[in-house]
Amino acid sequence: MPREIYAYKCKKCGHVHYPYRMVCRNCGKNEHNEFEPVPLPKTGKLLTFTTLYSLPPDFEVPSLGLAIVALENGITVTGQHRIDEPETGMAVSVEVEIVRRDGYDEHYGMVFYKA
Amino acid sequence: MTVRDVYVIGVGITSFTRLEYPLSEIAAYPAMMAMKDAGTRDIDHLYVANMGGGRVNHQTGLASAVVDTLSLTPAGAETIENGPASGGSAVKTGYMAVASGLHDTVMVTGAERMREVNNLEATDFVATLTHPLAEHIYGVTLPSLAAMFTRLYMEKYGVTERHLAMVAVKNQNAALRNEFAHLQQEISIDGILDSPEAMTNNPYVAELLRFFDCCPVSDGGACVILASEEVAGKVDRPLVRLAGVGQASDTHAVHEREDPTDLLAVRRAAAMAFERAGLTPADVDVAELHDAFTILEIVESEECGFFPKGEGHLALERGETALGGKLPINVSGGLKGRGHPVGATGVAQAYEIVHQLRGEAGERQVDGARVGFTCNFGGFGNNVVCLVFKREN
Repeated sequence: MPREIYAYKCKKCGHVHYPYRMVCRNCGKNEHNEFEPVPLPKTGKLLTFTTLYSLPPDFEVPSLGLAIVALENGITVTGQHRIDEPETGMAVSVEVEIVRRDGYDEHYGMVFYKA
Repeated sequence: MTVRDVYVIGVGITSFTRLEYPLSEIAAYPAMMAMKDAGTRDIDHLYVANMGGGRVNHQTGLASAVVDTLSLTPAGAETIENGPASGGSAVKTGYMAVASGLHDTVMVTGAERMREVNNLEATDFVATLTHPLAEHIYGVTLPSLAAMFTRLYMEKYGVTERHLAMVAVKNQNAALRNEFAHLQQEISIDGILDSPEAMTNNPYVAELLRFFDCCPVSDGGACVILASEEVAGKVDRPLVRLAGVGQASDTHAVHEREDPTDLLAVRRAAAMAFERAGLTPADVDVAELHDAFTILEIVESEECGFFPKGEGHLALERGETALGGKLPINVSGGLKGRGHPVGATGVAQAYEIVHQLRGEAGERQVDGARVGFTCNFGGFGNNVVCLVFKREN
C-alpha cells in the first residue's frame, strides 16, 4: 500500500491544515479530532530551497537538499529535495520515502523530485 | 491596571567562549557581579533563563541549583525555558513580578553551556525547537531555515551575499571592542567573499548562508537585577528604566506562514514594547538585534520599525547601523561576534543596553544614548521578545 501524508480539513469551516493542530486556525470552533484527513497532492511548485552541509549527527550523507513547496491545492510543506539544479518556481513531484533513520526508527516524509 | 515602574539596578556578564565550569556557576558568576554592581544582596526572587540544561548538561531544575550556590535561599526561584528567547522571556517575567507589586527586587540570570557537546550535536539540540513531524524529521536545522528564508528575501528585496558579508564584518569586528565577546578575530570582505581563498575560508553551511553568516556556539551567562522605584532610588547607579516589554508568537512550522518573508512576531513584539514605553522606533539611540544569522539583523531592523520593509540592507550600505551611524546596531558584536549561549543571549542584550545607557561602554560607547532596544528571536521567528530601556537621570 502506498504511504500517504495527510493534511487535516476542519469539519466546521473546511480550512485545510498541515501539519496537524488540535484547534482550527481559521474558525477556532472545532472540538478535539473534528478534522477529516485528506491526502496531500503529489505535485507542486518549489518556493525556496537550500543544500545543508552541516548535518545533524544521524545523517550519514555529505549534504542534504531541503525545500519548501506550495502544493497544487495551496498547502505549503517542508521536505527534502533530490533535484540537481533546483530553481525557485519549478514544478516538482512528491514521493513519500524514508527521510530519517533514528536508531531503529524509520521516519517517512515528503521528498521532492523534478516533475 | 496600574503598573509600577521597573528599573535595572545591577548587571553582570561572563566571557562568552568555552567555559570549563558547571552550568550553575555560569549562571551564578554574572549574578555575583550584578549584586556587587547594585550594592545589594537583598533579592526577593530569581528567574534563571536556560534552554538546554536538561538535554546538553544533564541538569534540570537549574534555578534551585543557582539560588543555593549564591546562598540566596529561601528566595523563590524558577527556570524559564523559551528556546533562544529564554533570556528575553526571563527579563519580561522579572518585569511583570516587579511591575505587579509581587516583588521589589528580582534577579534575572541567563546561562548556557553548549560547548560540552560538539558543534553538530549543539546545532541538532537547537533544531529540536522546530516542528517535530513537519520539519525536524527532515533534518531541518536553524541554519537551513535561515538559508531558505534568505533565498526568498534576496529574490524579493535585492539583498545580496555582499550585504550578508557586510553584517558579518561589522559585527565580528565590533566584537574586538568587547572584552567579553567570543570571537576576537578581525575579518574583511576580501577574506570572506572576494579573494580566491574566500570559498575555503567561508564555505556554505546551508546554501546561501556561509560559515561567517552564522553565530558561534558559545558558553556564557549574563544577569540583570530589576527593582521598584523605591529600591532603585537607594542604589548609587545611573537610573535606567525598563520602559516597555512586548512578546508575540507565530506558526510553529515556518512553511505555514502566508508570506514566509514576513516576520510577524517581530513586528508585533516590537510594536507592543514601544507602545508600553510610550516611545517610537525614531527615539532609539542604540539597538541589540538577534543576528543568529546575518540576514536576521537586516530583516529585524525593518520589522522593528527602524527602516521601511525591504530597505534594511540599504541603511547598512549607508553605514547607518555601524558605530557612529544614525542607529548603531549590535555594537557589542551581537550574537555573531559576542556569541550565542542560547539561554543567556536575551539577558546579554539587556546587559549591553544598560551599559550603553549608563555611558559605561568604553570604546564602543554610543554617544549620548538615552533610549535602547533589544529583540530576542526564538524559534525561527515563532516566539519573539522585545524590550525598550530608557535612561532617566
